[in-house]
Amino acid sequence: MLEDWEAVIGLEVHTELTTLETKLFCNCRLSHDDAPNTNVCPVCLGMPGALPVPNRKAIQSIVMAGLATNCQIQKHSMFYRKHYFYPDMSKNFQTTQGPVAFCMYGHLDLEVSGEGAKERPDGVETGTDTVSAHDEANPVVVHKADDGSYTVPIRILRIHMEEDAAKMVHVGGEEGRIASATESLVDYNRCGTPLIELVTEPDLRTPEEARLFMEKLQQTFRTLGISDCSLESGSMRCDGNVSLRRRGTRGLGTKTELKNINSFKSLHDGLEYEIRRQAEVLEEGGVIYQETRHWEPNRKRTIVMRVKETADDYRMMPDPDLAPFDLTDDFIEGCRARIPELPDAKRDRYVSEMGLKRVDAAQIAGDPATAALFEEACSAVEDKVRPTVANVVVNLLPAFKGLTAAQVASVSGLLAADAITFAQAREVLEAVDGTGEDPAKVVDERGMRQSTDAGALEPVVDEVLARCTDQVRQYREGNRKVLGFLVGQCMKASKGAGVKGNPKLFNQLLAARLEQ
Amino acid sequence: MASLDELSCAQIARGVADGSFSATEVARASLDAIDAREGEVQAFLEVSRDLALAAAAETDRRRAAGEPLGPLAGVPVAFKDNMHLVGTRTTCASRMLENYDSKFTATCVQRMLDAGATPVGKTNMDEFAFGSSTESSAFHRTYNPWDTTRVPGGSSGGSAASVASGEVTLALGSDTGGSIRQPASFCGVVGLKPTYGAVSRYGVVAFGSSLDQVGPFGRSVEDVALAMCALTAGGRDPYDSTSQDCSVDFLEHLEDPIEGATVGVIPSLMEAEGLTDEVRHAIEAAERALEDQGARIVEVELPNMASSISAYYVIAPCEAFSNLARFDGVRYGYQEPGCATLAEQTALSRAHGFGEEAKRRQMLGAYLLASGVYDQYYYPAQQVRTLITQDYARAYEACDVILMPASPRTAFRFGEISDPTQMYLSDMYTISNNIAGNGGVSVPLGLGEDSGLPVSAQLQGPAFSDRRLLRFARAIERAFDARGKVAPAFAGKGGEL
Repeated sequence: MLEDWEAVIGLEVHTELTTLETKLFCNCRLSHDDAPNTNVCPVCLGMPGALPVPNRKAIQSIVMAGLATNCQIQKHSMFYRKHYFYPDMSKNFQTTQGPVAFCMYGHLDLEVSGEGAKERPDGVETGTDTVSAHDEANPVVVHKADDGSYTVPIRILRIHMEEDAAKMVHVGGEEGRIASATESLVDYNRCGTPLIELVTEPDLRTPEEARLFMEKLQQTFRTLGISDCSLESGSMRCDGNVSLRRRGTRGLGTKTELKNINSFKSLHDGLEYEIRRQAEVLEEGGVIYQETRHWEPNRKRTIVMRVKETADDYRMMPDPDLAPFDLTDDFIEGCRARIPELPDAKRDRYVSEMGLKRVDAAQIAGDPATAALFEEACSAVEDKVRPTVANVVVNLLPAFKGLTAAQVASVSGLLAADAITFAQAREVLEAVDGTGEDPAKVVDERGMRQSTDAGALEPVVDEVLARCTDQVRQYREGNRKVLGFLVGQCMKASKGAGVKGNPKLFNQLLAARLEQ
Repeated sequence: MASLDELSCAQIARGVADGSFSATEVARASLDAIDAREGEVQAFLEVSRDLALAAAAETDRRRAAGEPLGPLAGVPVAFKDNMHLVGTRTTCASRMLENYDSKFTATCVQRMLDAGATPVGKTNMDEFAFGSSTESSAFHRTYNPWDTTRVPGGSSGGSAASVASGEVTLALGSDTGGSIRQPASFCGVVGLKPTYGAVSRYGVVAFGSSLDQVGPFGRSVEDVALAMCALTAGGRDPYDSTSQDCSVDFLEHLEDPIEGATVGVIPSLMEAEGLTDEVRHAIEAAERALEDQGARIVEVELPNMASSISAYYVIAPCEAFSNLARFDGVRYGYQEPGCATLAEQTALSRAHGFGEEAKRRQMLGAYLLASGVYDQYYYPAQQVRTLITQDYARAYEACDVILMPASPRTAFRFGEISDPTQMYLSDMYTISNNIAGNGGVSVPLGLGEDSGLPVSAQLQGPAFSDRRLLRFARAIERAFDARGKVAPAFAGKGGEL
């Protein structure tokens, strides 16, 4: 069934600029954890006579976000007022941007490989649904490799700035449900928090692409340092718009909007469910209604939140309290200068300069804290140890809370020299996690250090080869598996000989001797 | 014994500084005059007796301690009731905010206080500044001190009347379409609407954010100039992102001759329908007076002026709708009791909290901003705005200031104008200036030959030429000797120092 239908997915991503100190239009502290309604003032409470003053650092952040996602920065843009009556917006309008956003027409390139790449059948082109003038400037070309992996640019229509609403809690009746609530409480601490909203073109075709896009966006914004980008806490929120069309056709079907996505898995699974649901409805000749649907991760289904029969009329108008922006080249270049090396460039550098595997390089480069630790550790080791550092960072680091770059460097050095095994490395790191202690010290204390001196191990090898004549014969007849047995014998024998065995080295020495 | 009626701001400040009288004595004289006159004028919604006496006592303490005194030391000042002053309510003359206590003090108010002024109270106005007669106040009428059967104009009618009746020496008003200049004209006082951005709007309850501007009323140009020094001192207000630094000494060139300057007149405006003969004659007299002082009169045109009222009554209601959306009874203001749902509470709080004109303007704005309608009205209105701004710019290539009436007629009787669109025409000479964002000043020309009521000239100038405007206003004032007059029926009633 799904083979007949193509999903068309677009994302709207709201990101709170959590690293700023103050709100978008006033000097209130940006913190949601304080007691309710303590970080408020006449401006964010919408008291009469109060006026907004834009936060320069917030504008800086959105311009950086635009530059990092290949957007065109619009020098001239302004704030608009979007009107709706609801107590979560103290002025009964939200200050947001109009037709021109600070950032327009960008793109992020996705690399899709492995199992995820199989979700997208061959022959699917993205850029055929003309949505805006954007298409002309950015033709979408999918590059597919022989191994089934592919690269696809996902176009970004715009990134605009807006203020967040207050948090409402509905009390009484069924937990958290507004319909049966007897009271509603409003906490204005969040009201006026700077949000940037990124809207993609409907260029995504699979749940995996949507997941990868969000992941890449998170990595990019974290690298810029403009937000902590937590899906769990809601500082990064994503709505997925999805519709289906018969493969080979170009029009757009009726879309549904997916909400309550608070993890990458929810995004993927929610979209997957919704695609299947829509396909079933369409297969049976049914109709998709334009509606907002809520993803229930525990029950693995979406349910209707709200049916949109008519478009809401927000009575948008330019905000007369905020002068139109006229960003200077100096300001924009100043923002550009603040952008650190972005994940893609970092990944490429790790591959070309440090000889890392592309997949490891990408993983390290994706998280700024990890990348910083990796680079610091690399600077403390010889060049040839760097791939081992990458190995430790990718495979061991995530399991620990508080490893330092020095500890990672030290353990990588021991691994690269075959002084310890990978399993021992894990054991040592467990011992030093959060202590700042040198792993080498623990290795010595526990007598883990394996001999890396071939000369010391040779006599053990001689003894074992002389003793295990059956296995030597079997090996020479082609049974390579017996090598493991011989290594085991060497390890056992080395204990008796007072030498700290090294299975890897024994392996090499035995193989060399048997091949003679 | 002096009377507060006779004293200019500078004389009060000097008298307080040299010990001729204390700030407390001046404050008591003002409160005394209010006691004697307010029954017939009803300019105030709240008299802040305690605040006034406390501020005056502080001024006196400073003098005794040898600390510097401000240029408005001891001057009694009234504030329109859309300006926040901690310790007073800010009602905007609306049931919606009947019990709203100011949460902070407006920048314009604070700057007056910083200059040493004594805050005497909050004045009546049209509800949320919607009107030209102060009749739309939810609380009471204000009476024109020159004829108490007539309106004081509006929307800053209480401020104009408080100065004209001699209750205070200075007052602040706000002008969105003429709300300072028209009541100043009706009440025979000087009223300046400065250039948009010259005075901070922070703490002034917004009506039309792109049009609103705060300005002073006084009984002389010099008093108004002194108030402008205080209002602009300290430069740009960081809390109002549309404000600009306009801190100059407004007194410096006040007495400079206008010889050789060019005054523009607009012939079509002098023939406009609705302009009364007495006003036309008075403006012609003003023209001659300026000519006599050596100014050259030139004819200029503002080709799109006729469209300004239409554009205004699109832009202003849209902004009003938006600005007044926050009054929903949830966080503050009138809250309808006993509602079952939020929607009902919002709807009924607004239905019963706002008066007729406030509802009319908001409904108009809500309609004009609706999708599909927006493109037909709001957008063209903004285009007209650009055209009018360009018209003015062209006109000011040929002249330094433009002379025209402040109002087509003198003060009308209560209830005389009941059709809102006729009321809107009261602002036919003032609105275009708000549209362009330029400054304008009303300056008295004495009493009209037919009505015997105050008539004023209006002078308009390019953006940020407010000091120049006051110099020309002073030239007119010199010629007409209209300086410093309290309405005769009230002069001398209380207010002795």
